[in-house]
Amino acid sequence: MDWKARVRTSLASVGVADEVAEELAQHARAEYDAARADGGTHEEADLRVTALLIRWKAEAPALRHRNHRNRRLEAIEPPAEGSSPFAGIGRDFRYAARLLRRQPRYALIAILTMAIGIGATTLLFSVTYGVLVEPLPWPSAERIVVLKETRGGNPPRFNSFSNAAYLAWNDHAATVDGLAAWSQRSVTLTGAGDPDRIRVVAASASLFTVLDARPLIGALFEAKDESAPVVVLSESLWRQRFGADPSALGRSVSFDGEAHTIVGVLPDRLSYPDRQARAWIPLRVPPASGNSLSMFEAIGRLRPGATAAQAAAEGTARGRFAAETGLTTVAVFGSNGPLEIAAQPLRDALTSDVRRPLIVLLVAVGLLLFTATANVASLQLARATTRQREMAVRAALGAGIARLARQLVVESLLISLAGGAVGLALAWTLHGFLPVVLPADFPRIDDLDITVVAVSFAVLTAVVTGVVFGLIPALRARRLDLVKALTEDSTAPVGAGGRSFTSRARMLIMSGQVGVACVLLIGAALLGRSFLVLLATDRGYDPSGVLTARIALAPATYPAPLRHALVRTILDRLEATPGVTHASFTSEHPLTPGGSTSAFGIRSSDGGTITVQASPRIVSARYFSAAGIRVVDGRGFSETDTESASPVVVVNRTFARRFLGDAAVGTRVPMGGGYEQVRREAIIVGVVDDVRYLTASDSSQPEVYYAYRQFGARLPVSTVTLVVRTLDDPSMLARPVRTAVRDADSRLVAESVRTMEEHMLLGLARPRLYAIVLGGFAASALLIAAVGLFGVLSYTVAQRSRELAVRTALGARRVDVVKLVFGQTMMIAAMGIAGGLVASFVLTQSIAALLHGVTPHDRATFVIVPLVLVDRRCPGVAAPGAQGCETRSSARPEGLTGDQEIRSLLSKLLVSEREDRIDAARAMSRDEPGRN
Amino acid sequence: MGIDALARELKRGSTELLILALLEERDRHGYELAGLIDDRSRGAISFHAASLYPTLYRMEDKDLIEGRWVEKAGQRRRRYYRLTAVGKKTLASQRGVWDTFFEALNRVARIRQA
Repeated sequence: MDWKARVRTSLASVGVADEVAEELAQHARAEYDAARADGGTHEEADLRVTALLIRWKAEAPALRHRNHRNRRLEAIEPPAEGSSPFAGIGRDFRYAARLLRRQPRYALIAILTMAIGIGATTLLFSVTYGVLVEPLPWPSAERIVVLKETRGGNPPRFNSFSNAAYLAWNDHAATVDGLAAWSQRSVTLTGAGDPDRIRVVAASASLFTVLDARPLIGALFEAKDESAPVVVLSESLWRQRFGADPSALGRSVSFDGEAHTIVGVLPDRLSYPDRQARAWIPLRVPPASGNSLSMFEAIGRLRPGATAAQAAAEGTARGRFAAETGLTTVAVFGSNGPLEIAAQPLRDALTSDVRRPLIVLLVAVGLLLFTATANVASLQLARATTRQREMAVRAALGAGIARLARQLVVESLLISLAGGAVGLALAWTLHGFLPVVLPADFPRIDDLDITVVAVSFAVLTAVVTGVVFGLIPALRARRLDLVKALTEDSTAPVGAGGRSFTSRARMLIMSGQVGVACVLLIGAALLGRSFLVLLATDRGYDPSGVLTARIALAPATYPAPLRHALVRTILDRLEATPGVTHASFTSEHPLTPGGSTSAFGIRSSDGGTITVQASPRIVSARYFSAAGIRVVDGRGFSETDTESASPVVVVNRTFARRFLGDAAVGTRVPMGGGYEQVRREAIIVGVVDDVRYLTASDSSQPEVYYAYRQFGARLPVSTVTLVVRTLDDPSMLARPVRTAVRDADSRLVAESVRTMEEHMLLGLARPRLYAIVLGGFAASALLIAAVGLFGVLSYTVAQRSRELAVRTALGARRVDVVKLVFGQTMMIAAMGIAGGLVASFVLTQSIAALLHGVTPHDRATFVIVPLVLVDRRCPGVAAPGAQGCETRSSARPEGLTGDQEIRSLLSKLLVSEREDRIDAARAMSRDEPGRN
Repeated sequence: MGIDALARELKRGSTELLILALLEERDRHGYELAGLIDDRSRGAISFHAASLYPTLYRMEDKDLIEGRWVEKAGQRRRRYYRLTAVGKKTLASQRGVWDTFFEALNRVARIRQA
């Protein structure tokens, strides 16, 4: 009897849902069967059912319009076929969106993975583009060249161009429209609000013509103004100090006490050399004569059609007629050899030392993007396997292969576009932190912006990656075997692991991910080790426990005797400060660029005279102890080396070795190092270790130290650096140092108050940044690979559960099963690591220039990184494998063992298989109306 | 509240409690539930199969239980009900309420709990 039909007829007047009717029919049948089993006749049993039906009809309102909430998800109807290749693409997107919404965890992982990849790539791309590609702000800036002078192949010890070469060339230039000289320094700004230290550029008037810059208001100074006390303010200074008031023109500001009249304002956009420059004052290039050489920086503007090489050749030729400056040339260049001029396009000069790191990082982030894309591709591939039936059914119903491929591509596009959107937001957010994160001396830092180009790049990346990782599963759809897919009763036949197209593709992708993680880790490890080597390099001084501060004593305000007195007072105060073990000062401090140099003759041991070039340093008695500079021979200075004592000097090891062999102590040298007019002689009483002034890889130059109290109560230099040592935390001394300076003279300010270690880190900001960024990429790649491997392996294990169950049934122990899965993981890891090591071996060559104290093929790194990758505790490779096995075993219901476990596993498989079939049937029944 | 209404409420409450308690042991289908309620209350709760399904559906709406179609080899598919997390909590709290109720009745009216 059709019980359902009977229930339906009986309740026809009420109308109940199909499923309710079915449930009631089951009940009715059971009631009938029970009555018959009790020995009742058909009529008696039927009567019981009729009674039941009558009662149900009475209860009907509670049954009516009721739909069981279906715990099984409704099948999502795939979009129908269309006539044109792009017909219904909107529907494809909606279909894809609904599929993703059904698998929120998969969608989240896929989108976040793409977001990390696209976000990091976009950010780095925008930085690289902004620094290396974006045109410079000055008109026809490609014609601006940076000029550098060498003598006998030696660059000058400070700045890059001499007045001798400048004047010799400037008057007869044919390849350049003009030359410009400039140099910058810090000055105290007064006369416009609170006093402040600002960077001022002293420049020849030609600077503005070479740059082709136009003022915002007023005028830029001209050649006739070069001796006049005028100033061009930067737009930012003008806005900040004068509220952008045009009447500021004609008013006056003072730099280190010297008044300058404001004649114009330069837009910030055109600020040269960078936006740290706040004002421009005229620089008159002095004629080169006698022993005077003036050093500065120089740029030129090429005539249309002229090349940098032609300009360099002309400069070199003209420069040979430069005035002879004798010993001074030796002092500055360390040689009096032939003059040569090099010209480099401005953009190259600005960016040459960040070009390689940026490109390396761009490649690295490309690898990261690859990993992210590969992740989503392999997840898609895994999904595609389970959707084989859906695809087969749709193909059987007439969907073309191209149509199915399009569907898959649309799905991945949706993921990558969503990922791209999140990634762009991520890049945007991180971009805001760039000025804080990037070293202050990073070129073109103000030009960095997320531009239309960067946004287009992100969108393009999203589309390309989306199409690529959509096409891989689509390729699979192309090879779809309908009959097999529809008749195959499980997704993975026994023993299929690693043999099908999909599993091979997946293994390849996963190996690639391990390989990429390996390459990035090796790169990051090399840069990290190099940074540590730089940090630990002996620079000839001991930076720990030292605080430094600069004091600028402008000669206009503070004549030499006053400077001497002030410095003495400050030192006395600091010596008395609790916690200070040594208080001292020096005229030239490590890690501060610039300086001076002098050349003089000394008598050699064989009685002849040799010309020596050395950089003078004026220091206080306890400087060597305060800075931790080792005395290697003789003695350092003492408090008794005063005006009344006979003049003494201390030289560094390079001076001693280069000029005096081992017998430096006792040699007589001229006193004063260019700071004294009176000719006196001093005796070398000690030799100190070489100090690497700017970077750890600097070569050391000859240096002569003088005691400041031997200059007749005058301090010849106008800028000094206090060096204070303590046994405690040196940063605690910042306040006492500031107070001591202000107490000595209320107008004085201690600048750049920092610990020596902070100073060193600032100098190492770039290597540190590169190491950290690459390390971040490596960590992300590792995480992405781990997430991907875990996801895909768990998927594979789940898919192979039939195979594993059969193996177990045939007597395989759990450990064998684990071995099987783990073996596959290890195989992937081994392939990936092997590929990664080979790739690293080639790729690390490109960072050789960034490494210090570590070779690009550092053996330890190449051994340790693979070990880290396969370590169980590392979230890279081993962990997903182990977890994949766990996933399988934890799927076992509690309390089941042996046979029971197998039966449970098998029955589960059978149930899921039937559900698959129901789903396919549903998909089919729903497909049909759509097609009609 | 009139006596009739109270009886109705008690009955409805007790039916739900019974169903929750029965499903606590394992998942069951409607016919099995009907038989068991009859058995376990020893006929004391006259509960007709006709009102079982509306009760089940109401409970499902309240998310106390959930039904799903299960097919077993060689059998027709049947709708099995099982307790939800909410159902489990409700069962526990209702047990408490009934315990208190019976205790109170016992103290006041010396009715013994069956």
